[in-house]
Amino acid sequence: MSKIELTVNGTKHTREVEDRTLLVDLLRDHLGLTGTHIGCDTSQCGCCTIHIDGRAIKSCTMLAAQAHGANIVTIEGMAQGEELHPVQQAFTDCHALQCGFCTPGMIMAVAALLKDNPNPTDEEIYHGLEGNLCRCTGYINIVKAVKQAAQTMK
Amino acid sequence: MFELSYLKAKSLSEATSFLSTHPEAKFLSGGMTLLPTLKQRLARPTHLVDVSALAELGGIEAKGGQLVIGAITKHYEVAASAVVRKVIPALAYLAHQIGDQQVRNRGTLGGSVANNDPAADYPSAVLALNARIVTNKREIAADEFFQGMFATALEDGEIIVRVQFEVPRRAAYEKFRHPASGYAMTGVFIAEFDTGTRVAVTGAGPGVFRWTDAEAALAKQLAPASLEPLVVDHTNLNQDIHASQEYRANLVKVMAKRALQKLLNT
Amino acid sequence: MPGQLHAAFLRSDHAHADIVSMNTAPALARPGVQAVFAGSDARAAGYVRFPLMSNFINRNGGAPIKSDRPVLAHGKVRFVGELVAMVVAKSASAAQDALDAIEIEYRDLPAAATINDALAKGAQPLHAGVPDNRSFIWEAGDADAVAHAFPGAAHVARIDVVSTRVVASPMEPRAYLVSYDAASDCYDFHTQAQGMAMLRWQLAQLTGLPEEKLRLHLYDVGGSFGQRSSAYPEHAALMMASKKLGRPVKWVSTRSEGFLSDAHGRGIQMSGQLALDKDGNFLAARYDFKCDMGAYLTPTGCSGHLRNVAACMTGVYKTPALYGDFSLVHTNAAPIAAYRGAGRPDIAYVVERLVDKAAADMNIDRAELRRRNFIPMTAFPYTSMTGGVYELSDFAGCLDKALKAADWAGFAHRRAAAARTGKLRGIGIGTVIEGTGLGRSPSDQIALEFDAQGKLTLCTATLSSGQSHETTFTQVVAQSLGVAHEFVGFCSSRRDNEILGNGSGGSRSMVGAGSVCQIASQKLIAQALPLAAEALEVEPSQIKFAHGVFNANEGGKSISLEALARRLAGTHPHPMNVLAESSVGSTYPNGCHIAEVEIDPETGVTQVASYFAADDCGVVINHSIVEGQVHGGVMQGAGQVFGEHAVYDRGSGQLLTGSFNDYYMPRAGLIPEIRMDEHPVPSTANVLGAKGVGESGCTASLPTLVSAVMDALRPLGVPELDMPLTPAKVWHAIQDAKAQQKVKAH
Repeated sequence: MSKIELTVNGTKHTREVEDRTLLVDLLRDHLGLTGTHIGCDTSQCGCCTIHIDGRAIKSCTMLAAQAHGANIVTIEGMAQGEELHPVQQAFTDCHALQCGFCTPGMIMAVAALLKDNPNPTDEEIYHGLEGNLCRCTGYINIVKAVKQAAQTMK
Repeated sequence: MFELSYLKAKSLSEATSFLSTHPEAKFLSGGMTLLPTLKQRLARPTHLVDVSALAELGGIEAKGGQLVIGAITKHYEVAASAVVRKVIPALAYLAHQIGDQQVRNRGTLGGSVANNDPAADYPSAVLALNARIVTNKREIAADEFFQGMFATALEDGEIIVRVQFEVPRRAAYEKFRHPASGYAMTGVFIAEFDTGTRVAVTGAGPGVFRWTDAEAALAKQLAPASLEPLVVDHTNLNQDIHASQEYRANLVKVMAKRALQKLLNT
Repeated sequence: MPGQLHAAFLRSDHAHADIVSMNTAPALARPGVQAVFAGSDARAAGYVRFPLMSNFINRNGGAPIKSDRPVLAHGKVRFVGELVAMVVAKSASAAQDALDAIEIEYRDLPAAATINDALAKGAQPLHAGVPDNRSFIWEAGDADAVAHAFPGAAHVARIDVVSTRVVASPMEPRAYLVSYDAASDCYDFHTQAQGMAMLRWQLAQLTGLPEEKLRLHLYDVGGSFGQRSSAYPEHAALMMASKKLGRPVKWVSTRSEGFLSDAHGRGIQMSGQLALDKDGNFLAARYDFKCDMGAYLTPTGCSGHLRNVAACMTGVYKTPALYGDFSLVHTNAAPIAAYRGAGRPDIAYVVERLVDKAAADMNIDRAELRRRNFIPMTAFPYTSMTGGVYELSDFAGCLDKALKAADWAGFAHRRAAAARTGKLRGIGIGTVIEGTGLGRSPSDQIALEFDAQGKLTLCTATLSSGQSHETTFTQVVAQSLGVAHEFVGFCSSRRDNEILGNGSGGSRSMVGAGSVCQIASQKLIAQALPLAAEALEVEPSQIKFAHGVFNANEGGKSISLEALARRLAGTHPHPMNVLAESSVGSTYPNGCHIAEVEIDPETGVTQVASYFAADDCGVVINHSIVEGQVHGGVMQGAGQVFGEHAVYDRGSGQLLTGSFNDYYMPRAGLIPEIRMDEHPVPSTANVLGAKGVGESGCTASLPTLVSAVMDALRPLGVPELDMPLTPAKVWHAIQDAKAQQKVKAH
């Protein structure tokens, strides 16, 4: 068993978990943060994307123990009260989600992408979304949302 | 995942001594290959020894005609490093082509090189840039290090500390992404040195290899036309549901020509 | 849930084998394990026979042969991934750990993972009752009429294509939680589904329990695409476990399990011949369909591949004589169910490729050949020889819109420009149609109910898995009632036993349930009118309703619907509550898509350069959502065109594309932009005039994108290629064509 201390969305948590526990399972099952989704088991789909120390990572490909001491932001931590994060707002405005399952991971990936590259070209957006699969939208409106968010975040 | 114990190493010596007492333990760095493997229950280590925070394994530095990068340096750090971009921009470019942003934020140089996935990007740069792999025990030349699919010169308990890349005059990398996985279906890294040009190919064969015919041809003239008449022997290349040997052979040549063109444009 | 246990499944790693022996005792001894179940338990429970949503009868009066499928395999396994045993334990990892302890011995049988192998002489039958591996043979149309027409043809175009087997891959893996309540002898299911009624009926059929014993609790669903149209063995296995152990039992699929055991889609081997006169007029067409059903028939798999294919076998063309021959074939592969379009994209694919082939053979412009053979507007309603009755469409208008928007006429310049950069540019066209409207439930119901505060909620049984019913259904009601959109709340799963209706599927939600939203609104207004009169103290005949307000003819008195609802909110049930019900007829969304591609001949990589969609999905309720559906559908088709393919190893029957590392999925940028225009011709088959849109993108993009690739390659002498058009395949085709040219030149 490992004793894990971490900060999630600004709140400190301590949990004791099996060493083999994945970070995503810690977030979902132990902290009740079910906005982070699990869409595959081979680290391809990106549904479980969260931010650790400001960078996007796949929480299904990391042990909870590896996140000891980390500062984590999940989709639940993006909005400021009633005010959506600009990326969330852009997804809403652009109809960039249908079933919504990939959306939390997609939003976390986009937010990180825009942090590294506030003004991405189309090609850079495609490159930045390589790690996130969506089955519903055809990505067209997701790319639009990325551009809108880039504008509003300027 | 099977049951296992996680251990965060506080020093390199603690990490290596732990491995000598627990032969079924494994080093864990970024975990981008290891964790998916464990999740599929394809490996059963008793312990994972996390080396990802060891200062001895970090750092990026250019000195004496070499670019030295610590083993735990993440792909995004290489891609974003001002030093790397100045000294060997092709290496920064390569790092930016690995996997996806989430993978680049976790995966490390040492992990990739030690794993030697036949479709990984880094081995081509390590080989083409005539790098020396520095471990806790010794230095190994890239030409000796890679020994075929997932096989390296590393011994049990041996761990990569840093990789010393030889700084080329110019270099370039071109990759053909596997349509599903994003790995290199074929990647070609070309590095031009005062002493000659090295061409390393990943993804196409059972392990990274130097395309010596191309190196010889480019020694005569560093131009895409030199590659044109070459025939890539496809019989030793990989074949799977995604691509035939012949197709991969073609990609070797096409990617090499494109990499060379890019190199000449820099 | 309190006391919840976790299930893990042992799945067959053999494609076709007898189970010689199995010993589950060692697993039972593992820490945390509560019970282990095997095929004998499934047999004892009687959970062996899945229903078919099919009323098809063949020429000899026979129905599809329903072979037994014990929910845990009994005696035999027939595909890799089939459930063999279930471990129930205190945690998911304990259950998973214990699977390894189950001892099982198989005796392999020859596996037939492909249609051709299953139909080969001497192939090992999968099921005792199906000696030739064909569970059903069916035909549509008139064989004699076709046989009569072909000899008179000036030209016969032929094509053989396969609509590849694909993995539906909604982003949310399956996850079920089943809880048995001994006091009421009922089962509570927390599960994903495409529709309450459809799943509950299937589960009742499978288990022999009355529907009221099965209580479904449905939530947001992370994509369906037909994959969730079926009841699965895991549903029933969890029922056994929960009843025996008296505790809720949960199972969450991994993606790897999903690849093996979620119902796959498509998998139809098709050949077609089209007879034309010297002017290119269609005289007759004949098709053969061999449908890969996988190891077992699923509730929706067989009906979709028969009905939806037959309904549109004539495409958008007048074809005087038409015939189709169908076989449903068992293979040692995952069962096939409906998948976005469920036969509609498949038939569109073969029809359109055949038309393209005829155009190429006869050197007629592809658009012109289509126009020449369109069913003219004067011919509606049009009844095809294979059963489709198209109500009203404007194929030529749609084509013109697309040709203009996509600048069909100016393509030669773009091709020349591409050639200057070494690229092969092609333009493709698809003019397609698809049937929708039908559902298993005879009608759809919509309830409009007011709560104690007078707040309105729309209740439907048509569950959304990304189709935005919450937006569009409420929009229909808000517009009909003349109230603000926010005034209408939405509920799609609360009252499972009270509201009837079809699930989401076959592009029918707006057509069916959406129409009833309008009917319910009108009913509500009619019912509220005397109440408004009472409130305004005038005779009902003196009241007119307009824009959300009841107005008295004289005296200027009025009350809004919202105010009336609030005023009457004290009484229970609210007197303005209505339950409306209606059934709809079949309708036929259609469209013309045009795409351009550029191929890099050095690598075989195809880039989609442009994509234009002109769609007649009838009256559009919400443009943004229609556009989103088209985007998603087009991209799903593009996935199949450029790479998606579930590949089984021919010898071993192992799935070679068992993860996203090997199974290609479309990613951002595959199609950079989709331009769209609507060409609405209101349907006469429902009150909204809607025709549906969920599947049209997919139906059109398969033939359109392949048409574009073939157009780029045809000048090189490349013969007909088939999906998936991977870079490797395209490159090889170019190399082969070059080699042929060299041979010819010598």
